[in-house]
Amino acid sequence: MEAYRQEIILAAVALYMIFCIVTGLWAMRRTTNSSDFFVAGRGLGPIVVSLALFSSTLSGFGFVGGPGLVYSIGVSSFWMITISTAGYALGFFMVSKRIRMISDLRNCISLPDVLAARYGSELVRMLVAITIVLGVMGYLATQILAMAVVMQAILSGTAMFADIGLVACVAISSAVLIFYCVTGGIIASVYTDVVQGGIMMVAGILILLTAMSVFDGGMTEATSVILADDSESIMPWGSAGIMAALGWFFVFGLGLAGQPHLVTKMMMNRNISDNRHIFPMSVLGYVLAALLWVSIGIIIRATVIDGIIPPLDAPDDAASVFLTLFTSPLLAGVVFAGLFAAIMSTSDAFLNIGTAAIIHDIPKALKGTAVKDELLWARIVTVLLAIVAALFALYSYYADATLVALLGAFGWATFAASLFPVVAIGLNWKGATVPGAVAAIVSALLINFGVQLTGTALPYGVSGGLLSFVVSLFLFLAVSLVTRAPELDSDIDRVMDI
Amino acid sequence: MGRALIYVIFALCAAMTLLLLLILLAEPVAGAGGVAHPVFEGMRRGGDGAARLQHIGAYAYAFQALLLALIVALSTLGISERHRSARLRGYMISTFLFSAFILWRMVASHQHFLATGETTYFMGFPAATAWAIYGVWAGAVPLMILYVAGFRQYIYTEDDEAQFNALLEETRAQDTQAGAR
Repeated sequence: MEAYRQEIILAAVALYMIFCIVTGLWAMRRTTNSSDFFVAGRGLGPIVVSLALFSSTLSGFGFVGGPGLVYSIGVSSFWMITISTAGYALGFFMVSKRIRMISDLRNCISLPDVLAARYGSELVRMLVAITIVLGVMGYLATQILAMAVVMQAILSGTAMFADIGLVACVAISSAVLIFYCVTGGIIASVYTDVVQGGIMMVAGILILLTAMSVFDGGMTEATSVILADDSESIMPWGSAGIMAALGWFFVFGLGLAGQPHLVTKMMMNRNISDNRHIFPMSVLGYVLAALLWVSIGIIIRATVIDGIIPPLDAPDDAASVFLTLFTSPLLAGVVFAGLFAAIMSTSDAFLNIGTAAIIHDIPKALKGTAVKDELLWARIVTVLLAIVAALFALYSYYADATLVALLGAFGWATFAASLFPVVAIGLNWKGATVPGAVAAIVSALLINFGVQLTGTALPYGVSGGLLSFVVSLFLFLAVSLVTRAPELDSDIDRVMDI
Repeated sequence: MGRALIYVIFALCAAMTLLLLLILLAEPVAGAGGVAHPVFEGMRRGGDGAARLQHIGAYAYAFQALLLALIVALSTLGISERHRSARLRGYMISTFLFSAFILWRMVASHQHFLATGETTYFMGFPAATAWAIYGVWAGAVPLMILYVAGFRQYIYTEDDEAQFNALLEETRAQDTQAGAR
């Protein structure tokens, strides 16, 4: 079987992609209007929503960047995982009920729609939609690039595709993504998420079991090897230090409730009461999938220090080296399929919310109505958005990485800092005002862009994301407290009392 | 607890902003964010743990404790004001104390290691790290239990559901009337 390693991995990935295409065709028959396309007609069951929610949370970063971070800086990045219970708790306590209620009452199909209804402000809708479009471009470009790089690594290991170029890999992977997103909209997206989530959980468990068998003394021996080399890298804060770790703790803990691609999924469940099942299932799925991040990172760092394997060329090679050296071809195939699943499940969610912002929210904010024939335009813009992101990814790879790096800063931290106060606190406090919302969004964008543009390194590993989040929260509350609370529409006022 | 809660949240955020400012202005320590590993390229070392915490340790621990309090306060804000009973307040305060206990055990275990160079292991990790990984994750489990077990009592009661369904029917009836006109 070892002789056919590359072929088995390729077959697993090809099977997964065929599944995505078939799901797209199946979902096309169930997508008859823009509500189906963007929020699945608010008719999804609890298992589907929970799997879609956690698989969209853990992008390709969790499978490639996560183990690479552990190799590089020890356990610092574990804080992104350990905070998941608190992060999902805030999402469910603060957002899931009211976002679903408002979307039902006002027939909302996007997060800016809900916020425009809550604040009674087209300015808030516009600012949130612009933030989403900028963030989506950065996220999508990096995800498409990651997908293409992994595909090239797999294909170039086979005799038939040994010379395949990156452009061809971008084209193949984007084509599959575009196909199922255009034909089936969010319905295809969430049902592929179900399988994607399942693959990620299975991969996480199997990788943990494999990792524990690398050293005779299991994980304890691996961590002892790391401790003997540099104790701080395996102590609670890791090599990056206490403020870097707490920054992730803060931004990933509170920030989950401000991620537009995640909270939008909270608008899609059939019944509000399903939330009590969705919450624990999402946490469980996330933790099982994240086992891969933890176990690969620790084992690769320990085996390099112990001289069992040579040092990596780059930290992000940690997962692929582990899969090559320590797993069977079959498990490697499952994990590579899981990697594509993780990347695609995040990409399709971003493609969906970016399209909604462009064809629904920005026109509504500018002229008061959405475009005519939304479903047709949704499909056209989904294609265009994915193509632009793919070109953007290629440009950044071959010519200039500055722009994509800049928009990459519009990742999790910027969404968290700019949207968490406006969404999570705004949906639970009648005193939240439009000036407060504007102050939070603008300050978060300015600080994140400012730190990125100037290349400022803050002391003690404090990140721009942490600084912008703390400032934006403070400003949102302070400005709202000193400005007059608006008269809410009566239906929104009643929802906020429930 | 009604309107006072937002002032509690504001006070927590203001205190955290101040602590972050103090950390940014504290005397810098070389390599506080890690230094390159002398042997393995791409790997970083944390170095002297005590030195890294010398000027900011207390501020950082306070920042984390406030963050744990903020998570509990924000979760409480997510519960309708009508359902924030004395029993719920007690539960939420206990949840914070549970998280704070875990933080204390983690910090104490780390300080013990820095002082003695010795540690026990729990489920594959040194004690301090085990508190950080398993303990911090479990710290918010009481919130999950409240949400799941107390859903019909605190989150979305049958009365809430009836109120929302009535509101939904009213809105749809108004929409239908407006459409007919």
